[in-house]
Parts: sequence; structure tokens; C-alpha cells
Amino acid sequence: MKKIKLTIIIIFLLLLMGGPAIGASKVSFYANITAIEPIMEAFEAKTGIAGEYTRISTDKFLATVLTEFEAGKLLADVIQAPIPVLEMLSEKGVISSYISSVAQTYPDWTHKNGIQLFGIEYVALIYNKELVKQEDVPKRYEDLTDAKWKDKIVMANPAIHPTTISWLIGLKENVFSSEEEWMNFVKGLAANKPMFVASFGPTPAPVESGEKLIAISMPKYIITKAPAPLDWAKVAQPLLGTPRAIAVTSSAPNPDSAKAFIDYWLSDEAMSILAEDVGEYVLAPGIFPPIEGMDKAEVIAIRELSDEEIQQWGNEFKQIFAVE
Amino acid sequence: MEIQIKELSKYYYTDGKIIKALDNINIKIPGKRICTLLGPSGCGKTTLLRCIVGLEKPDSGEIKIGDEVVWCNKKGINIPTEKRGLAMVFQTYAIWPHMNVYNNIAYPLQIKNFPKEEIYKRVKKILNFVKLDGFEKRLATNISGGQQQRVALARALIAEPKVILFDEPLSNLDAKLREETRKELRNFLSELKITAAYVTHDQIEALALSDVIAVMNSGYIVEVGSPRQIYFNTTHQFVADFIGRANLIKAIVKSQKKDKTIVDSEIGTFICQKRDFPVESKVILCIRPEFIYLKEDNYSGEGNIITGIIENLVFVGETCEGEMSIGNKRLMIKIESESSLKKGDVVNFVVSSDHCLLVSD
Amino acid sequence: MNSSSRNTVILLVIVGFLTVSPVIMLLFGSFSRGLSVSGAFTLDKYIAAYTDPDLGEIINNTVIFVFGSSLLATLLALFLSYLNNRTDITWKFLFRIISITPMMIPHILFSVSWVLLLNPSNGIFNLILKQLFGLKNSLFNIYSLGGMILVEGLLDMPIAYLIIAPAMASFDVNLEESSRVCGANTLQTLIRITLPVLRPAILAAFILCIVRCMASFAVPSVIGMPGRIYVLATHIYRTISIGFAIDYGKAAAIGMSVLVISVILIIIYRYLTAESEKYVTISSRGYRPAVIELKRAKVPLFFVLGLLLFILIVLPVLVLVYTSLVPYSMIPSSRALSMMNLNHWREVLKDPISILSLKNSIFLGIFGATIGIILSIFVAYTIVRIKTRTSGILESLSFLSFSFPGIVIGVGFMWFFVRTPIYATIWALLIGYIATYIPYGIRPLSSAFIQIHKHLEESSRVFGAKPLTTMRRIIVPLLIPGITSGWILMATMFLRELSLSVVLARPGSEVMAVQILRFASDGLWGRLSALGIIMIVISTSLVALVTFIGIKLKP
Repeated sequence: MKKIKLTIIIIFLLLLMGGPAIGASKVSFYANITAIEPIMEAFEAKTGIAGEYTRISTDKFLATVLTEFEAGKLLADVIQAPIPVLEMLSEKGVISSYISSVAQTYPDWTHKNGIQLFGIEYVALIYNKELVKQEDVPKRYEDLTDAKWKDKIVMANPAIHPTTISWLIGLKENVFSSEEEWMNFVKGLAANKPMFVASFGPTPAPVESGEKLIAISMPKYIITKAPAPLDWAKVAQPLLGTPRAIAVTSSAPNPDSAKAFIDYWLSDEAMSILAEDVGEYVLAPGIFPPIEGMDKAEVIAIRELSDEEIQQWGNEFKQIFAVE
Repeated sequence: MEIQIKELSKYYYTDGKIIKALDNINIKIPGKRICTLLGPSGCGKTTLLRCIVGLEKPDSGEIKIGDEVVWCNKKGINIPTEKRGLAMVFQTYAIWPHMNVYNNIAYPLQIKNFPKEEIYKRVKKILNFVKLDGFEKRLATNISGGQQQRVALARALIAEPKVILFDEPLSNLDAKLREETRKELRNFLSELKITAAYVTHDQIEALALSDVIAVMNSGYIVEVGSPRQIYFNTTHQFVADFIGRANLIKAIVKSQKKDKTIVDSEIGTFICQKRDFPVESKVILCIRPEFIYLKEDNYSGEGNIITGIIENLVFVGETCEGEMSIGNKRLMIKIESESSLKKGDVVNFVVSSDHCLLVSD
Repeated sequence: MNSSSRNTVILLVIVGFLTVSPVIMLLFGSFSRGLSVSGAFTLDKYIAAYTDPDLGEIINNTVIFVFGSSLLATLLALFLSYLNNRTDITWKFLFRIISITPMMIPHILFSVSWVLLLNPSNGIFNLILKQLFGLKNSLFNIYSLGGMILVEGLLDMPIAYLIIAPAMASFDVNLEESSRVCGANTLQTLIRITLPVLRPAILAAFILCIVRCMASFAVPSVIGMPGRIYVLATHIYRTISIGFAIDYGKAAAIGMSVLVISVILIIIYRYLTAESEKYVTISSRGYRPAVIELKRAKVPLFFVLGLLLFILIVLPVLVLVYTSLVPYSMIPSSRALSMMNLNHWREVLKDPISILSLKNSIFLGIFGATIGIILSIFVAYTIVRIKTRTSGILESLSFLSFSFPGIVIGVGFMWFFVRTPIYATIWALLIGYIATYIPYGIRPLSSAFIQIHKHLEESSRVFGAKPLTTMRRIIVPLLIPGITSGWILMATMFLRELSLSVVLARPGSEVMAVQILRFASDGLWGRLSALGIIMIVISTSLVALVTFIGIKLKP
């Protein structure tokens, strides 16, 4: 009995000790972007403020932040997510407007109601450069509808994956000259029976291994998965993607650190790390990921789509891609 | 230390029906004696034992061990099993398979935090007592049934408890071993002067072991008495029938003498043991086969004489068992094995009036 | 007896609180307008969830998937546990460890491994078969219901194995012997006596597998989705994840039906094993089951077993080793061999978060499983020995969080823990793990409990031992096989736990799942494989250690 009591007391004490420690100079950062540890380290080295990076995947982002916020326990000082997510959080009052002086060099459209856009989650056609002959590489998006790609394509499920749905809509609005032309493209793509995976994450592996030859995926994998034989099809049309955004929370426990962090995040130094190490497409002028041809590519941010619109198109794509 | 049980009842509920496992039991189990709870399976004897030890919860009544009330629903007393200071030998022996013989036996002392040397001494002694010297290190599962039984007994004895309870401890042994163990047990218990409550369905075991027998049937106690009382002088048809074998004959009381009762039965008039039945009441006459003797030619006693025809006889070793018929009625008989009687013989028998029991119909 | 019913109530409160709280939160969420739990009441989410035209096909797929994998898992577990525990087959210890290896691999990784082996385009296995037999088309297509059943069945097999094996190990040999005496041969005895007597354990294993399959997400998403086969778990994902504002309340609304099914299954299970006394097998006699001599069948069976385990378990693990060494996903070739290096390993090991998460996960695995097992012993005891209505409720309660689809239950716990002071600490993970996976402790323990004769503990109490002393000196030692199983199930589960971890882990309380998910969402299979192997090595050492201790403790 004594032992049990003792154990309970010890557990209780440990519980108390395990509670969130409130340190003096730190910043808590919730982000859906991955592999940014080098930036966190550089930030701490430069400012002496400890950066705590919590990675929350997009599908759990809104739920987590809102739950914590409503319970008065939002631990984050700075949050980073696709712009539609931050817009929704902004509506709920989670975000406090902050315009960093560092971002003055950024294009005007990147300042959004106190939220700063800093990158584009860009999408391209990624192919296996060892298995696809140079002359076969698509020169336009439409080339993907060619019958030679039948059973050779892998993509995130266009009925579910918001970024892929947005990309398809982006093509309609920014690339194709008519809706009919676009619809032919979508139907042609569907006729080639692409293999669906849950998100972008699993798209490069089948291309690397040769299970499939081409993916609707992210060029950043050319960097992160090197030396995999991946390259992007330098199509004549622009590349599209959903903007990545960053903001300070309205309940930030460390607001000053939060601003310092955003200032650093938007600096050329941090953005270069992001572009070079992670292969991200950033909006800081003159900084490009070290992917051949990317500095000349036109990368367009897709218009912000409401969830209703995404769902509606998701259902539409589900029908179109359900062909046997 | 005596055990006193007052108005104890326990019910089970199955399929919406109430089954009375114990029905208002009143019994006093005398101290330093062996008391057997005897009855057919399902009569409630094991339930009663488990109530005494505290493994089952009665629904009403009181149990007192010595001067201590261990269960009383009115006063809300329920002493947990482990604090009742009893010992028990289970039908399955409940020898712990993960311990060796030594630890099995030492367990009750280890629980009470006896010093190691003391435990060692006592276990040695008790092992000698139950003739298991040298078995200390053996795994409890690697010994024979009889040895397991003695380990269980040693474990029950080691803490020198006030009371030991036995739940059919011999039922898993073969006939020969059972008989030997029964005698040993009787010796152990008499020597140690322990109060023992012993559950069995085997009447021979009960008769041989007990100081007191309580015969139970469907949840109540039918009769309590010494083995002799139960055997010779029972007042219940159930007991007469359950203990040994008995010929049951319908009869009507004709007259009451000073120390005898006279009845008219299906097979004639009988002088019987005195019982206070009113004249003309219907009764049952019980005659055990072993008390029906061949009438010798020069017999001059006052016993009842029966004349019957031998119907069959089977040689079973010590005796011959068989049946004779008197009119339409058949009676079981038991005669010496060297007898030359055979089927069809007309024979005279004698039954002493002391062995003619009358029980209510 | 009063005290035991009081204890039942205490347990009911503890287990109830742990497992009901997140489910209640999900219930609120499913009836609440908007994304949180505190919106106005609405039935919209249920109406939307249950009027979906796809539901018919989804249910059809789910039933086939769930029953197929559970059946495969249980049958395989029966076969393995029989050979490993009851026969004189060689290399038992090795086979035992291999049998539970899938338990230690992150499901997502095991699925990817199988894709590499069996995909129709260039699956290694398919390529070999094409070469060998000159086939034009691939023989196997992993992206099918069959493929899903195979992989999920293998992943769940250790659960079934760890529940059936202890029961198999403590089988009363007299029951079999009497059958042999009656003229039945080994096979007849197995079918007519052994299996029926083991019914409670087999049923428990089967039901646990069913519940787990219904909640499983990794296999349906990695294998089912490319084959365009949706089951309930992926259907939930598909329903809620279109768009950025993901409504977990709606997911909970669909999940509630899984919950109801699980509770019904538990009730059926209780009914089927109600007369568990019938199945008592350990008493003082025949504690050690006799080893069946395989004689002539020994060598062939050894090869069958070895080959089966090699193809089903060792090969996918070897694929992981290979994947962790090659720079990117590639088909084995001389070129691939020449490119092998330890880069992925270096990347994983130099990452400070990897090291921290490793430490945290090991702590949670060992400490969590130990606490979980202690709690499970009491709960299992109550469920098996004290057969009251309350104990029935206790048993159903213990399954609540467990049976909820993984992608939802984490959010339920978040909604719950955010209202407590332990939110964002490692203790939230610890409590969440135990609450969710307590059936892993309770199931093997209660089927082991059923086999211990009541007299063994009653006699201890008669001789003056208090209930806790009896627990420590009699019950726990007799339960060692069950405790070993439960501990292994829990510890290996906690080491690779994903559903709760991704929601509840925060800086400082990172666990391996955080790394797994990070690598998976970046498609870094090489690093993921390296981490997976590290996890397998840690788990295997734990398992070997615990199995060894278990054998030592058992006389």
C-alpha cells in the first residue's frame, strides 16, 4: 500500500513539474511547413531567442489552433499555414495584424490584412529523368493527356486533396484559354488513369522507383530527395501554387519575440535557407530555389478559394476521375 | 472453538427464478470436534462452507466463530476472509503451481510475517507430520495427487488455525488412497484438537471421520447427530435413505407400548423403536438390510420374524447381497458370504425391534 | 464483497473518465455547429454523414476488409502460436520474436514496404515472378482489397498472437490427453478439443482485430487509395479533408457508428463467453502443457513456418533495411547496391528532435506500458471475476477510445486535454496512450485470468493474505504469460503511436510519431525506414528482455 501511495505522489509531482514552463525569451512557432530546423537554429544564434517549432499538418491545423485558442491555451506566438487557413483564423480573431518592415521589398499583393505571404507551395510535373526520354517530357500541361502516359501518372487524389483541387482550378483560371479546353485536359488526365495517393508526400517515391513515370507534385522534392533522378517539366505555361503565409497570434505570450521572429523569417537570410535547403519557392525578391530553370519560371499564386468552392470542385473531380 | 450459524439464508437468481441455496440454516458446529456437512450434490453444503470462510456472501443471518461475529447482515458485519483466521483444504487442493512445496506450505506463515527460522522449523515439522520429508524443493505440480492433498493439509495445519474447513478433500483420490487418507486425517485432527468442518457427499467418509454429522438436503439441514445416532436412530426418511441403504415399507401405527411402538405394515405387524406417532397415523418403516438376520433354529428372542422367498443373491466378497420377496414387496438383504442359500428358498429372518425405525411419511 | 464492489466502482470511474471523456467531446463535436465542440446544436453532420450515396459501397468494402484481415490475423496467429507454444518445432524463440515483429513497425512503413514488393508496375516480387515464368503481366496487385487484407492482417496478427499464445501456453493437457485416449488423432484433438476450449481467447483476439481494423488508417490510405478502394476510415478522411477547415465533428458523426458496432461486438463477446468457468484450465494439475512431438512433420512444418515468416515479415523488414540504405526509392540492382550509403541514418541520428523523440518514446513505452498493465490487471480481474453489470459496463468502456477511428480520436483527446492542466505535456500523451490502448492490456490478461482456477486465489485469502497480497503473490505470478503479452502489446504500440501523438505532442514532448509523420509527409522514405528500423531494434530488445524475464519468472 505504501509503495502505491508513494508512486502516486511521485507521479503527481512529476505532473506538476511537467507543466509548460514559461521561459523569458522564446518564441513558439506552429507551422505546417516542414524541415525548417536550420532556420530555427539560425534565428536563435542570431537573436538569443529560443525558437520552439511545432509541426502541425494542414489537416489538423485549424482544429488544433482553434481548440487551443477557444480554451485560452494557444501556446503559439507565430503561426504559419496556407493562406486560406490563416484567413479563417483571422476571422476568428486568432491573428493580430503585423506588417514587418522587412517585407517592404516583397510584392504588394503579399501583404494581406496584417498577414504576410512569403512563399508559394508550387506544383509542377515531376518526372523521372532516367526513364523519360527528353523528347517525351511534357512541354505543355495538355501533353499529360497523351495516351503514352496511361497508367504512368501519380497524383494526390483530386477529389480530396485541397492543394491539388486548387491547382486544377488555378489552371482553369490562369492557364487555359477556355473552360472547354481545360475540361478536355481534366478529362484527358482522368482517362490516363493516374494513381491516387493521399497527399503530395507519397507522390515522388513511385516516380523515383519507376513504378510511375511522372507526378503532379512539388519541385522542392528535386532538392530534398536528391540524388533521386527527378526533374520538372519546364512547361511553357506558368506554374501555380497556394500561397504560404505567416502571422502573429493575437494571444501571443511573447509578442515581441514573435515580431522579431517574423522579421527574421522574412529576411533574405532565412528565405535563402528555405529556398536552398528545402527547395521552397519564396517571395523575397531575387531568391530562388537552386532548381535549374526555376529563376526564369513564372509562378502564380492561385486565387484564394473558399472551402465550399473546393468541396464543390472536389465532388466534380470525383465524378470525372471515376472513369473506368 | 465452536461455530454458530443462525438463520442463514442465501439465494441465487437465475432465469428469473430464485434458488434457495441455503434456507434458514441453524447449526452449532462444536469446538475441537470434526463436524461433517453431508448431503447430495447441490444440497448447499459447499455454499455453507464458503459462507463460513467468507468466500460467499449470505443474504441474511449470522455466523459466529468462537466469540466473534464474522457475518451479520443486520449489524452490517462482514469480516473479510483473510481476517477470519481459518484454514481450508479445497476440493482441487488449490496448490499454487508456480511455487514449490516449501513455499506452498510456508505461505500462511509468510503472510503473517513469521521469522524465517521459525517458518523453516515449522515447515520441517509439518512435512514430517504429513510424511513428505524431503519434498521441499519439488514443484507443487510435480507430485502425485495424494501428495498434493497432503501438501494442502500441511498448509492448512501450519498456522495452527482455530478452525479448518474441508471441501470434499478426498474426492479426487482413488478408493484405497481415500481410505488411508481418511484414517490419517482422523488421527491428525484428533491429535491436534482442531475444530473441523468437513463437506462431503460420501456417507462412509462422513461416518468414519465425524464426531457430528449434519445431513443437508436442498438448502436446509435435515438432521444433526453423532454418526451412530444418524445411522441407527434417524427420524427422517431422507436420512435413512441417504445414509447407507434402507428398505422403506409403508405402515400404520397400531398401538403405543411403554418403550415400543407397534405398526401394521405391508409385510405384517412389527414391533419397532419407540416413536411418538399417534395411533392410526401413516408412517414409514425403515429396515437396513444389514440388520435383517437369518433366523437360527434355536432363536428365542423377541425380534420380528419375517418369512420370505429369496429372489436373487450376489456374492460381493465380504457378504452376499440380494433381495427377498414377501408377497409383492421386495426387501434388500445382506447375508454372510459362506451361506448356501439360493434363489427360491423360503427363509425365516429376524429383525430386532431396535433396528426397526419409524419415520414420518 | 462490499469492498470489491467499491473497487469496481473506483475502476469504473478511472477507466470511464479516461476513455469516455474524449468520446464525449467527440459526441459534442458531432452535434455542434462549426468546427469546435461548443457550437449550437445541430443534426446536420449526422444527416450529411449518413445520407452519403457512397456509403453502401464503403460499407461493403469495409466489411470485406475488416473480416478478411481479422480472419487472416487470427488464423495466422493460431497457427503460429500453436507451433510456437505446443510443439517441438526448432528455433522457437526466434519464431516468437518474428511473429510479433509487425507490431513494432509503423503501419505506414510496413504498407510502403509491401507496395515496393507487390505493386503491379515494378514490384520486386512481381518482377522476379515475371522473370522466372516469363509472364507478361504482373501476378499480384497490392492495390486491391486482397492486398489491403494481406497487409492489415499481417499488421494485426501480433495482437491476435499475443492474446492466443498465453492461453495456448497454459492449456490443461488432460483435456487433450483424454481426447487422445478416446481415439482421436492430433489433428482431431486440435479441432475438437483444443480450439473449442481456447474459444474465449480466439474470440477475444478476433474481436480485438475487428475493432482495430475498423479504426485502421495507414493501410487503407497507402494501399487502398491508389487502388481507389475506400473503407470507412478513408471515407471519413475523404469526407472531411476536402478544404482547409476540417470538421472533425463530422468525422466523429461517422465514427460513432464504428463505436456502436464495437460496443455491440463486446456485448456479443461477453455473451459468448459468459460461462467462462467452463474454460478453466489451470489448476494445480497439468500446469505445464505437454509438448507435442511433430515427428515426421517437423522438418516440413519448420520450412513452411520459416518460409511463411520470411515472406510475410522478414522480407518487408529487409525492404526497409534496403530502403534506408539506398539514396532514393529504387529497384534493387547492381547500381542500387553501388549507391548504398548511410546518409539517411546520419540525417536521422544527427537530428536533435529525433534523439529527443526517441528518449520520450522509450520513456512512454516502458513507463506507460507498466502503468497500463497494472491498471489492466485490476480491470481484467474485475471483468472476469466479479461478474456484475458494472463489470460489463467496465469492459465496454475500456474499448471506447480504442474503437474510434484513429484520425478522429486524437482530436477527441485534444478537445479533452485542452481543458486540463496537463495539456501539451508528455503526461497528456501518457494518459492518452493508456486510455486508448488499455484493451491491449485487458484482453490478454482477462483471457489468461479465465484460465486460473478461482480456488487458487481463494485459498490465499483463506490463509490470511489481503487482496493486494494475493494479487502480488498468487495472481500476478500465474498471470505472467498474459502480463508479458499485454506489456509487449502496449509498449510496442506506445513506441510507434501516431494517432494521438501527432495531435498532442509539443516541443519538448516530441515522440517518434512526430518524426514519422514529418518524414512521411515529405516523402522521405529512406529516413523513415532508418527510424523504423531503430524502432524495431528498440522494440525487439524490449520484447526479448520482457520475454526473457517472463520465462525466468515462470517456474
